[in-house]
Amino acid sequence: MKKLSVASISVFLLIMAVLPNFLDSRWQTIAVTFVIFSVVALSQDIVLGKAGMFNMGQAMFFGMGAYITAILNYHYGWPILSTIPVAIIVPALFGILLAAPIVHLRGDYLLIVTIGFNMVFVQVLINNLGGVTGGPNGIFGIDPMKIFGLTLSSQVAIYYFAFVVLLLTLGVMFNLEKSKAGRALHYLREDPLAAESIGINTRVYKIFAFGLGAGIAGLAGTVFAIQYGAVSPEGFEFIQSVLFFSIVLVGGSSIPGVLLGVFVMFVLPEIFREFSTWRFFIFGFAMILTMILRPRGIWPATFGKIPKHLIKETKHGA
Amino acid sequence: METFLQQLANGLTIGSIYALVALGYTMVYGVLRLINFAHGDMVAASAFVGLTIYVQVMGQSMTLFAVVAIFLLTAAVMACVGVILERLAYRPLRTAPRLSAVVSALGASLVIQNGIMLMWGPRMRIFPELVPQIYWNFGGVTISLIQVLIMSLSVILMIALYLFVEKTRIGAAIRASSLDQDAARLMGINVDNIIALIFIIGPALGAIGGLFIGLYYRGITFNMGWQYGLYAFIAAILGGIGNIPGAMLGGMLLGLFSAFISGYVSSTWADAFTFMLLIVILIVRPTGLLGERVAEKV
Repeated sequence: MKKLSVASISVFLLIMAVLPNFLDSRWQTIAVTFVIFSVVALSQDIVLGKAGMFNMGQAMFFGMGAYITAILNYHYGWPILSTIPVAIIVPALFGILLAAPIVHLRGDYLLIVTIGFNMVFVQVLINNLGGVTGGPNGIFGIDPMKIFGLTLSSQVAIYYFAFVVLLLTLGVMFNLEKSKAGRALHYLREDPLAAESIGINTRVYKIFAFGLGAGIAGLAGTVFAIQYGAVSPEGFEFIQSVLFFSIVLVGGSSIPGVLLGVFVMFVLPEIFREFSTWRFFIFGFAMILTMILRPRGIWPATFGKIPKHLIKETKHGA
Repeated sequence: METFLQQLANGLTIGSIYALVALGYTMVYGVLRLINFAHGDMVAASAFVGLTIYVQVMGQSMTLFAVVAIFLLTAAVMACVGVILERLAYRPLRTAPRLSAVVSALGASLVIQNGIMLMWGPRMRIFPELVPQIYWNFGGVTISLIQVLIMSLSVILMIALYLFVEKTRIGAAIRASSLDQDAARLMGINVDNIIALIFIIGPALGAIGGLFIGLYYRGITFNMGWQYGLYAFIAAILGGIGNIPGAMLGGMLLGLFSAFISGYVSSTWADAFTFMLLIVILIVRPTGLLGERVAEKV
């Protein structure tokens, strides 16, 4: 079993590593966005899948990272590379600050509050607060990224940069699952009361999950700003958060599940682009059907090495 | 003072619409603990259904009979859609994890929204002028017949629903099912039928709300459901979700709040202020103004 998973991971990484060389320019763009969305979806999985908090505002942190890179580069002339730490730390701090007063809210209330944060964020962007966000049009003309004397100008180059970011995120996810924090989050999702009673500080870990997810989403935002050389409010509206939310639940809260979710929810609609008017109609039916057939997602999470016959199916959780 | 009274009238009009739509959310949540994300899109769909009934069935007639018939037929069509939706998308997931039903609701929302687009096209349509344009002027404050109609009809419907839920046997069964489904079943209540009934009442009231949106704002688009749905859902939370009088109060307050913000502060920040109000209320009083009807463990 373990050998198989090592083999399948290396095959997947190999395919991903050579992929852009076999694609035309339109599909190269989609491949880059696929990788970026995978990073955001993994960050959403930390909050929604791992910690079990109904967060429908992940696009805000994604957008925050993108806008920080855009503003610092366009208005203040920072090189893209040096904006990256800011684009990780500021969304992470916002994630912590915004999560602190709301993490105690029950599922659906949390969901609606995070939608609220996302809506306020987009309105701030559109109304051009402080005169730096560029209003409804956003910011155009962000410099290409320079790293080790190379300029990332082609989509293929950006793809490899995004791929490195994805690998880093996967590293974080693997470590999280094996760490104390990851186990704490898992117990927290299964039963918050029991977790609290065995001495897990649920509040701290919930806020930690929000902050970590926000930081990773912010980093993905930077890559998104690099890919298009532009940012605009539409890319970060809450409907985008709904997409990330659905990706995790349709795919299932495991690393292959999330990647599969991004493929199903983002790449498939692109493949069926020629049926433009019909695709989302059918897509909605597909979402309903997936949930009926596989309520825990296409590729559900497994945890630890507990033998199957000892695991009792629980009703709650992602 | 004039601005105040004018915004009061506008706020109560929008608030009535929010309240009608919020009832659909709150009743479904009360029994199923599910945010029916498709509800807003059903409200949008009802405006289009009303438009088609007006053109195809009523032959563009604007007599009182025709207008009443449009309202009743639209409500009936949307009630059927509601029952079908529950059968196909929600009933198979009754025992599944809660989030699965949320995704199913999001899928249903996509289906309805894009269904509207496929049938009526992506462009904005103009809703017919079913109610004559009569305006009254009270010392600088203008109130139209449409506004009076929306407010009075909404209040009548809400009182009727309140009496139905509080005073009849079926109403008692609805309240029992939202308190404890299993216990209700043991008392001989057919919970499946109650849920089907809720998916008749909610969409029918939402349909009236959708027609009001068409009458009041005139322009209707296929994707307007999310916007009105989200506001109505906030109204339901403001009043305490699962609580029927709470949804009415929440709708009115939200309408007034957004009207006064647009009138006195700025209309470009209205959404942000509304959501900040929601966030503050949820932090200070998470069960809403009138308290929720949903008793939940921890």
